[in-house]
Amino acid sequence: MFEDKRTGLALALPAAVFAAALFLLPVGILLSEGFRNADGWSLAPYVEFFASGRNRVVFLRTLKLAALVAGVSAVIGYATAFAIVSLPPASRGRVFALVTLPLMISPVARTYAWLVILGRTGFVNQMLVGSGLLDTPLRLLFTETAVFIGLLQLFLPLMIISLVSAMENMPRDAVPAARVLGANWFQVFARVILPLTREGLVVGGTLVFTGSMTAYITPAILGGAKVLMLETLLYQRVTVANDFASASVIAMILMVMAFSANLLLKRLATARRAR
Amino acid sequence: MTRRPAKTRLLAAASLSALALAPAAHAADKTLTISVYSFAQDEFKEIVYDPFEEICGCDIVVETGNSVERLAKIEANKDDPVIDMAVLSTHDAMGAARKDLLQPVDVSKLSNYDKLYDIAKDPLGDHLGIGYTFYATSIVYRSDKVTVESWADLMSPELAGNVAFPDVTTNQGPPALYMLGQAMGSEGYDLTPAIEEVAAHADDIVTYYVRSSQLAQLMQQEEIWAAPVGRFAWGRFKDNGLPMEWATPKEGQTGGMNVMVMTANNGNEDLALQFMDFWLSTEVQTALAEALVDSPANAEVEVSDEVAENLTYGAETVASLKLLPPDVILDSRESWLEEWNAKVLK
Repeated sequence: MFEDKRTGLALALPAAVFAAALFLLPVGILLSEGFRNADGWSLAPYVEFFASGRNRVVFLRTLKLAALVAGVSAVIGYATAFAIVSLPPASRGRVFALVTLPLMISPVARTYAWLVILGRTGFVNQMLVGSGLLDTPLRLLFTETAVFIGLLQLFLPLMIISLVSAMENMPRDAVPAARVLGANWFQVFARVILPLTREGLVVGGTLVFTGSMTAYITPAILGGAKVLMLETLLYQRVTVANDFASASVIAMILMVMAFSANLLLKRLATARRAR
Repeated sequence: MTRRPAKTRLLAAASLSALALAPAAHAADKTLTISVYSFAQDEFKEIVYDPFEEICGCDIVVETGNSVERLAKIEANKDDPVIDMAVLSTHDAMGAARKDLLQPVDVSKLSNYDKLYDIAKDPLGDHLGIGYTFYATSIVYRSDKVTVESWADLMSPELAGNVAFPDVTTNQGPPALYMLGQAMGSEGYDLTPAIEEVAAHADDIVTYYVRSSQLAQLMQQEEIWAAPVGRFAWGRFKDNGLPMEWATPKEGQTGGMNVMVMTANNGNEDLALQFMDFWLSTEVQTALAEALVDSPANAEVEVSDEVAENLTYGAETVASLKLLPPDVILDSRESWLEEWNAKVLK
């Protein structure tokens, strides 16, 4: 684009300096805290972190819930996205707007709504007890189920949006062609839709997985101290114990998990293409 | 001693007031920097800060935050203190004192010192902290559902699945565990039996709460029927439309105290002492009590029954409080947390 390559570099310089000085450097300093102990550089903080049974439980719970939310939102997301792209363009816009509407409401407000809905005198329990299905209300709040529901509602729109835009780029005739050639719906999905939308799935999956893993408000309000996740544990370490070493260990773990999830999803997507 | 940050702030304050075309009410040659809890700052400004600025002809710079942040800041500026006086819980103040961040308060210069309740006069020893408020901690409960007469009732079958307990990381956590231990017959300040008791009933406890506002909401939503809570939060419960009662357990009530401290070598001792004395005066303590901000540590304060109902008030109440000693909390806090994490949150 530029005759002299240096012009491009010069133009990128201010942003690069800004990002390096105000983002990369502080993040580097923060994360390096986790590799230090009294004797100097060491992996001991990581060994110590995983030596605690409570920390392992929190780590596995975070991994499990984030994977579950990503998986379930992919299933619901594909169904919803397919339904949306099958609509005529005019109503497609309206339905799409409905899907994105929750994103415009603060996560705090959305999570508080769940606090009321899932409560002992909330909507869900009133329906269950009122219809005679249950004698006593279920304990839903402060459980993994509550955190799962909250996170799914929070991040599902991101998956749907990614998949809708992937499907819109799919050749219009691909699905009818596969059907005409005798493929059943499962084959259509596995061999036509999935390979053609894998980039949307990678983007959506990474967003939902990373988002669920690093969400603070939802696990704090719907899970509390009984259902600690890495992010709520991090907050506890900093504000209560002033323990920045553990906090940077957790921050590093979260970052590694996010990058791994992205790599893994990309790998899965390309593996399918190679076959 | 150089106090450059204060000067910078002074300049900023001066230019701001010039911008607002405000008359230079304060001579602004003196500045007092205080570190306080972020709660009720509007009331404190009206009752304490603004009137004191009028009296001293100085500017008050207020720094707020949670205890961990504020303590970290005092420690970081140890060699050139920015904060002149701070208010802290007794155990946080003791922690600061052990790190040599504090100096004794010269109580001979506090004209209101003799008016304080005895427990507020010297809770840390050496006059390192002067109590300015305290609170009782007991159990709030739904009187239409249960009766609570002992701390042990929290773990009763009637309350199983209907009770919340303060998280061990909160200021209410260890005192509540202490009283639960007392009810179980524990001796001294060993919280292990109480932590094990909570662990044994983990499935019966709805949540370990962190904030009293969160607790008030759970009570309102009928998620819980009982929980240990500080008296300062009682106002949030008593008018929630449900039959609420404040327990007087047979083992007694526990609680906590906050103290004023003087940072070491701040070079601003006279002004800080003048400010402390003002805060402890009958007039200011009465106004703070009537605004339901802080229970008075000044024994001369008299308030109406209606106001007293929301506070920890009166010599008898004050004398009956079973407080955990600050050095015990400070020395054991980490081990309690570890034990709690291992047994209760396993």
